[in-house]
Amino acid sequence: MRTRSHSKSPLSWSLFTLLSVILSALVQLSSAGKSASSTGDSVLVILEPAKKAEYSIFLDGLEKKGYTITFRAPKEEHPLLIEDGLPNFSHVILLASDTKSFAKDIGPQSLVQLLSLGTNLVLTLGLKQNLLTSLAPEFSLLLPPPATPLVSFFPERSDSPNVIPIDVSSQFIPNDTFSVLSSQVTGKVWFSGTPFALNPNPLLFPILHAPAESFAADMSDASGLVSDALADASEKGGEGLWAGSSLSVVAGFQTLIGGGTGHGPDAGSGEDKQTRAVWVGGSSLFSDEFAKKQVVEKIIQERGMKVVENPSGNKQAALEIAGWAFQERGVLRIDEVTHHKVNQTGPVEMYTTNDEIVYTTRISSFNPSTKKWERYSGLKDLQLEFTMLDPHVRTALLPVSGKPGTYSTTFRAPDRHGVFKFVISYQRKGFTHLHHTLSVAVVPPRHDGYPRFLSAAWPYYAGAISTSVGFLLFCAIYVAGEAKEEKKNKKE
Amino acid sequence: MSTAFPLPTNISPTTVANTASLLRIVAFGLISGAAIASRLFAVINFESIIHEFDPWFNYRATRVLAAKGFYEFWNWFDPTAWYPLGRVVGGTVYPGLMATSGVIYNFLHYFNLPVDIRNICVLLAPGFSALTAWATYMFTAEMKDPSAGLLAAAFIGIVPGYISRSVAGSYDNEAIAIFLLMITFYLWIKALKLGSALFGALAAIFYFYMVAAWGGYAFITNMIPVHALVLLIMGRFSGRLYVAYCSWYAIGTLSSMQVPFVGFQPVRTSEHMGALGVFGLLQIVAFASLVRSHVSSKQFQNLLAISVVTMGVLGAGAFVVMTYKGWIAPWTGRFYSLWDTGYAKKYIPIIASVSEHQPTAWPSFFMDLQLLIFLFPAGVVMCFRELRDEHVFVIIYAVVASYFAGVMVRLMLTLTPVVCVSAAVALSTLLDTYVEAREPDVPEERTEANGNSVADGKKTKKAGAATAGSQAGSSAAAAASSTISDFVSATKSNANSRQKGIWGADARLVIILNAIGMLVFFVFHCTWVTSNAYSSPSVVLASTNPDGSQHIIDDYREAYYWLRQNTPQDAVVMSWWDYGYQIAGMADRVTLVDNNTWNNTHIATVGKAMSSPEEVAYPILRKHDVDYILVIFGGLLGYSGDDINKFLWMVRIAQGVWPDEIQEPNYFTPQGEYRVDDRASETMRNSLMYKMSYYRFSELYGGGNAVDRVRNQQIPKVGPTLDYLEEAFTTENWIVRIYKVRKEDSLGRDLKTANAFAQGKKRKRGKPVSRRRAIV
Repeated sequence: MRTRSHSKSPLSWSLFTLLSVILSALVQLSSAGKSASSTGDSVLVILEPAKKAEYSIFLDGLEKKGYTITFRAPKEEHPLLIEDGLPNFSHVILLASDTKSFAKDIGPQSLVQLLSLGTNLVLTLGLKQNLLTSLAPEFSLLLPPPATPLVSFFPERSDSPNVIPIDVSSQFIPNDTFSVLSSQVTGKVWFSGTPFALNPNPLLFPILHAPAESFAADMSDASGLVSDALADASEKGGEGLWAGSSLSVVAGFQTLIGGGTGHGPDAGSGEDKQTRAVWVGGSSLFSDEFAKKQVVEKIIQERGMKVVENPSGNKQAALEIAGWAFQERGVLRIDEVTHHKVNQTGPVEMYTTNDEIVYTTRISSFNPSTKKWERYSGLKDLQLEFTMLDPHVRTALLPVSGKPGTYSTTFRAPDRHGVFKFVISYQRKGFTHLHHTLSVAVVPPRHDGYPRFLSAAWPYYAGAISTSVGFLLFCAIYVAGEAKEEKKNKKE
Repeated sequence: MSTAFPLPTNISPTTVANTASLLRIVAFGLISGAAIASRLFAVINFESIIHEFDPWFNYRATRVLAAKGFYEFWNWFDPTAWYPLGRVVGGTVYPGLMATSGVIYNFLHYFNLPVDIRNICVLLAPGFSALTAWATYMFTAEMKDPSAGLLAAAFIGIVPGYISRSVAGSYDNEAIAIFLLMITFYLWIKALKLGSALFGALAAIFYFYMVAAWGGYAFITNMIPVHALVLLIMGRFSGRLYVAYCSWYAIGTLSSMQVPFVGFQPVRTSEHMGALGVFGLLQIVAFASLVRSHVSSKQFQNLLAISVVTMGVLGAGAFVVMTYKGWIAPWTGRFYSLWDTGYAKKYIPIIASVSEHQPTAWPSFFMDLQLLIFLFPAGVVMCFRELRDEHVFVIIYAVVASYFAGVMVRLMLTLTPVVCVSAAVALSTLLDTYVEAREPDVPEERTEANGNSVADGKKTKKAGAATAGSQAGSSAAAAASSTISDFVSATKSNANSRQKGIWGADARLVIILNAIGMLVFFVFHCTWVTSNAYSSPSVVLASTNPDGSQHIIDDYREAYYWLRQNTPQDAVVMSWWDYGYQIAGMADRVTLVDNNTWNNTHIATVGKAMSSPEEVAYPILRKHDVDYILVIFGGLLGYSGDDINKFLWMVRIAQGVWPDEIQEPNYFTPQGEYRVDDRASETMRNSLMYKMSYYRFSELYGGGNAVDRVRNQQIPKVGPTLDYLEEAFTTENWIVRIYKVRKEDSLGRDLKTANAFAQGKKRKRGKPVSRRRAIV
């Protein structure tokens, strides 16, 4: 039996490998479209047709990246977002932030449904109330009252106080593992629109904070001065609530995989349906106007001040924000998970308690520039849990040097039988969540798997042997004695 | 010598003997046929299907055994049961039943008879009932004679008390255990009678088989020592007893320890200490009698007094110390619940929650034993009259089993064999007396007969009454019905040396016809009970249509097959433990708890989930990876064995583990009623079980009065809502309802909020928390 399975396995294994290579190549060909996104090329932009020209730089940038853009006016009925239960587009950008009413199939519920169906969203808020106002709380966003844009009087500038340059570079957190806005965003980013506060939610993170000096205030006052609004707010006890750098103007949201248990109906590695949504306080961030608008900066020098006009970072920032939302960056996936006993190869159906188990996984990350999945060894804090109700083992899953993308660890199974799960649960800001569970049974040793001769049992062995020997001796003597007696009797 | 009716005189004794044995064989063949046939009602009325709950596990285990062989079965770890703990099946099961079927299966297949393993399982119990009849025959023949044995065999063949556990399809341990019980007892009696080590060893081998087959083996483990002890106390110690007991105990105990599930229990638990103690006592007594034969009686008296006291003190002290030290496990809860019927309800609700662990109701004695329950005491009295060693055994067995049968319904099963034996002894004595053709010697004037030692109580009584009728006077008191007065009158009449007996064929005929009439009624009763009460598989329910035809309600299998075909192989199904084995057997899905109730905490976890509100239950469900929940709801059909009626047990069991979170009184109305209508308590209405049972129930009535037909209460028109679960499947008659556990919301909200949003409800506008302290 054993030899047969040995002779058979390499052949089938190599066949399998060959097949999987071909298949994965095919998958690569088909999935790696022309765009930089890992999930698809088609983009729907919901926008008033009249304003199409206002966003040409941003949209051209997207097309250059390989996306195919479809436009739809907010009140138009077609093309549908969801048709026959399937999404029609890979990504949706809602730029019609000031539109009050939308077509029937664009509603808060359908947008959430889109997310769960695998479509990424970029949502821009307006000053007026619309469907996004009621949608925002579902994403743990807190919006200020309607028509209260972000206002800042610093730095001193000629523009209106609600058109604010935001310094991106000052917001970088040292040793941050991931940031949506890369260092390529040079220059300040112009922003005009509504800020929002973030409720604590591990899925939500700020991409761009409001400047520390800014605050949200009612601008309906014709004078353009907002001191009254401030006074009002403080009278209502709301002073300081909608102010400062705790507010965000752009926030990213990474959805859960629907919390798969990793077995039953949730089987599979699960990253396929993870989607992203980006909330932007105002659509003008993407606009041509802000992209072209120069940032006037006064640099204090020894000999006085120097006025410098820099190009704004809006063009790059808009593309990077949309790029993150469209799953270009920070996209990880688990390609393969294997586990086996130490010094053995091939998968095992069940482990025995106290077995040494080797667990290996291969992780890839999507590279937007080559548009291909590449092995990724960059995760330093990946952990593996061996769980039955509670984690019995929790150990670091470290990259294997020399094998890109491979993470491996060896640990001893607990001295407890049951159905255990290998769990990888990696949720980091900006990255797709890695979640993988694999059930395996840990069984007690087989009946012949225990040590056979115990030194502690020697008294019993001795007892059994001596009794047996004694019995045999007794029988022999008894039988022999009987014979003699008989002989004697006969003689007598 | 006169006879009541003419007897043929030209038959040689050999012919008589041969005819008698031929008749016995024919009768025995018929008895076996009747025993098997009456158990086939289940197959005829329904189909060849495994019944109830435990048999489904046995069946599943047998399939594993037949497919993978014995060693794989021994090492079988079942990851699909008790998820995620798993169950070491090989070490927690009595493998006798499965091994038996496996052997039969392999035997038949060796001879190229491709019988399906299911049919072997279904028909195993009827087959073994024939063997039980045989063992009972042998046992009773030892008590009295073969004709009593035949009666006993006929009784045990068709008595409902035994049929209830051995109809076709009732593939449970008891199916073979009663045979093993009787054969072991028979061999023990035989060994005791003959003083034969061979029969002692045979008894031990069947005892081993019994240990391998049923947890009730403890009954034998204690019955035989008690018998031996009583014989000792009665001063009936003999070499025969010593040989029989020691050979049985030594071989039986050593072999029983080979069963993995039993292991070292025979030397470590209190239940088995009696057997060990009697074994030790026998050695002492045997040694004492040896010493007695070698020393003078004066010395022996002293020696005996000192040694008995010392040994007794030492033995008892050792037992106490070892129990205290934990080397001997103290009595288990199940054992205590045998003595105090309220114990289980208080401390181990999980045992009390099983309906077959409830105390027996009186009518069930008549239902299960009918005529035999009347004859039973008479038979025991018969045993007293002769009181040989084996009769002592029957008396002890009768007393012990009667008590246990009164405590627990399921132990009726152990009472049934002794009832059959005693009743057969009584009835056979009656028939012997009245079929006997010889008339008493007729004296010249007075009706006198020699007091025959074989005469039984009834005969005496009849005779006493007859003489009283003819003579009147003081002997009229002899007609009093109590046994004592019977004896008194009997001794009196003996003193008067009055002759007793039966004269004429007509008096005989009356009694015999009467007896036969009772037996015929007994047969009719047994057949009726068997076909109506004990043949339902309980997986399939039957009701009658208005026109009298049978209507099959097949909701269980509908639901289980739905699970099997519509859910992934590794989906986890949570249900109350009653249905665990069936889900594993029929739906082939992973279960949290099942009928092997080994882990009280795990069951309590399920109970807690069922009795908590949704938001409390949800984390428990997710932690245990539950994908589907299955509940049994009988409200639409009036099926009373549903989960709402079992619900209080879930609450109690959960309360035993989490007394702070689950409290039984909260599930009652302030008046202390258990209600499900609009007066139901808040906790009750929020509990998962209530919600799952009545979800959308009132919609079924389209605005009319939704009435729960089990509890006869109106269900509120606005039914419960579910946020964390969604209805996946409900069977035709709503008996089984399956719910799917929803996954976490993809936006990280709790599902209640997510549901409210999906239904279009708007949320209140929030405000960020002010980080500025209020200026006072």
